[in-house]
Amino acid sequence: MKRTVKFGVSLGGLALLMVAFAPASPALDHPGTIRITTREVAHRVMDQGRPGRGPGDIEIIRTLLYNKGLTPRAIGHGEVVCTFTGRRSRVCNGTYFLPRGKIVVAGALVFRQFYEFAVLGGTGLYNNVQGSVTVTTTTPKPRRDILTFRLVV
Amino acid sequence: MKRRSLPLAARTVFATGLVGVLVGSVFVVMLLAVSALREAERREARSRDVTVSTLALEKLVLDMQAGVRGFVITGDKRFQTPLITAQRELPQALDELQRLVAESPSQRKRVRLLGQEIRDYRDVYAIPIVNIAETNRAAAGSPAAVAEDKRLIDSIRMKFSHLLDAEEGLASQSAQSADERWTAALVLGIGGLIALAAAMLAFGVYLARSIARPVREVAGAATRLADGHLEERLNEGGPGEIGDLTRAFNAMAENLQRSRQELEAQNEQLRESERMKSELVSIVSHELRTPLASVLGFTSLLLTRDFDEETRHRYLGIIDAQARRLGALIDDFLDARRLEQGRLELGRDRVEVAPLLREQAELFRGQSERHRLTVEVPRKPLAVRGDRDRLAQVIGNLLSNAIKYSPEGGVVELVGEDDDGVIRVAVRDQGVGIPDDQQSQIFTRFFRGDAAASGIGGTGLGLAVSREIVEAHGGRIGFNSAEREGSTFWVELPAADRRKKENG
Repeated sequence: MKRTVKFGVSLGGLALLMVAFAPASPALDHPGTIRITTREVAHRVMDQGRPGRGPGDIEIIRTLLYNKGLTPRAIGHGEVVCTFTGRRSRVCNGTYFLPRGKIVVAGALVFRQFYEFAVLGGTGLYNNVQGSVTVTTTTPKPRRDILTFRLVV
Repeated sequence: MKRRSLPLAARTVFATGLVGVLVGSVFVVMLLAVSALREAERREARSRDVTVSTLALEKLVLDMQAGVRGFVITGDKRFQTPLITAQRELPQALDELQRLVAESPSQRKRVRLLGQEIRDYRDVYAIPIVNIAETNRAAAGSPAAVAEDKRLIDSIRMKFSHLLDAEEGLASQSAQSADERWTAALVLGIGGLIALAAAMLAFGVYLARSIARPVREVAGAATRLADGHLEERLNEGGPGEIGDLTRAFNAMAENLQRSRQELEAQNEQLRESERMKSELVSIVSHELRTPLASVLGFTSLLLTRDFDEETRHRYLGIIDAQARRLGALIDDFLDARRLEQGRLELGRDRVEVAPLLREQAELFRGQSERHRLTVEVPRKPLAVRGDRDRLAQVIGNLLSNAIKYSPEGGVVELVGEDDDGVIRVAVRDQGVGIPDDQQSQIFTRFFRGDAAASGIGGTGLGLAVSREIVEAHGGRIGFNSAEREGSTFWVELPAADRRKKENG
């Protein structure tokens, strides 16, 4: 099953790279799905106010982005900052740095194991994109996620 | 060059081959139609298999979804059973479907994308969600997760739907194509059979026209030929062997006609020969009897009565002349016989023509008081090489004829001249001439034309013997004549001195 996951991720990465390194146009001109995997390299929660999770706490997540089907090395990184609005719920903003541009996301989440953000836009190849990104956790420690970007132009 | 037409055998083989090709074509068309039907049936069966496999695969996907949902909702691992079973059976089901659609590139692509999506659902959603649910069912059952599940499953279902629709379309298209091909094959088959019947009918008509009719014509012509119509001919423009047959028939008829004409000509010659023989007998009997009667009569007189010396001498002279005439007649017959047998012997002496002409003129000058003979020769010598007596015989014959056929008398000219190495002797009379229709036969033995009826004596051998003698000397003899205006007979002989002149 692990191999299958890798295969799917590789295909997604391949698609990403094909889009990312496509020399033809400066911006994406058609809808598409990009699937990459992430590995969390930093996770920190800034406790504000009363001890324990509560409104106002700030969570900072830093991940490396991979397309294992193409290369074992990271192809980019992601930065997400969340502000807790309750004990579990938080509102997040994030930016994923891909080889040919950045994708900016935002949304609310309750469980980090599975959530969905809106894609607000981006730069470079992704400067005109919108859509959503679904994040599914595959392993908790170290935390690895699958990101599925469904982009529209 | 006349182009030889194709033989009938080759035409028959060609026509038979053509009919064979037509039969073969119809058979092939029908075979293709049957093959198309079988292919359509196979395609239909395969479509059923594809549909069954697709539905089975869809059931596995739904089983996966049910397993995920059951476990996420209840947390009871027993609900994972459909998921586990579906995961186990999924590769085989996908392979089976891929195999069934292998012949259709579009379906192969659809199945490939569908498989990819199902695997994505399994790997990116189902398995991670189950793992999440084991620690945090609330996260696994979050609206986002449910929405993702619905989105993925809807997409997969849509692909299933497209696959089934496309398969149904392909089956329908295949069935329609088979129907069309069957209809086309039926039309072509019936058309081919009609064309075949028409071709066979045309072939039969062709055979009747090309063989039966010409053979009937040949048979009819042969029957008419057998009835004696030797002028019967056939049109030679037949094909191949028929053309050969008609040409052979015409050649045969031509030969038969020519043979009959030759036989008729020979028959005519025989009749003419018989007539001439009868005439010869008549001539011989008449020509011999006249002098013989004179000889017998005067001899009897001399034996039974006494005459004075002068009368006796005159009678003996008559007997001598008539005996000589008999001798000359017999000599003519013998000459004719020798010439006929090729036994005439000729001398090759130098003969001076001028004295010969004068001598012959002198001999005949005393035979008729009504004729005046003139001799005209040049001063220079006219010499030929040959037999003097035979040449004298020729000149004598011509002079005799000139006198005989000039019953009214007149001038008989005897002219000798040297015409550039050819000694030409001409005997010209002012007699009755020769009718045009008799001129071609004038040198024929025993031919006398109207002479007998006119009471002119002779055997009809003189000119024939003369021509043989002249030609034996390497010369020519001929004449110019017009009826009632006289004739000119001429003889041309090579001059004896010609070789000397040429060499000199």
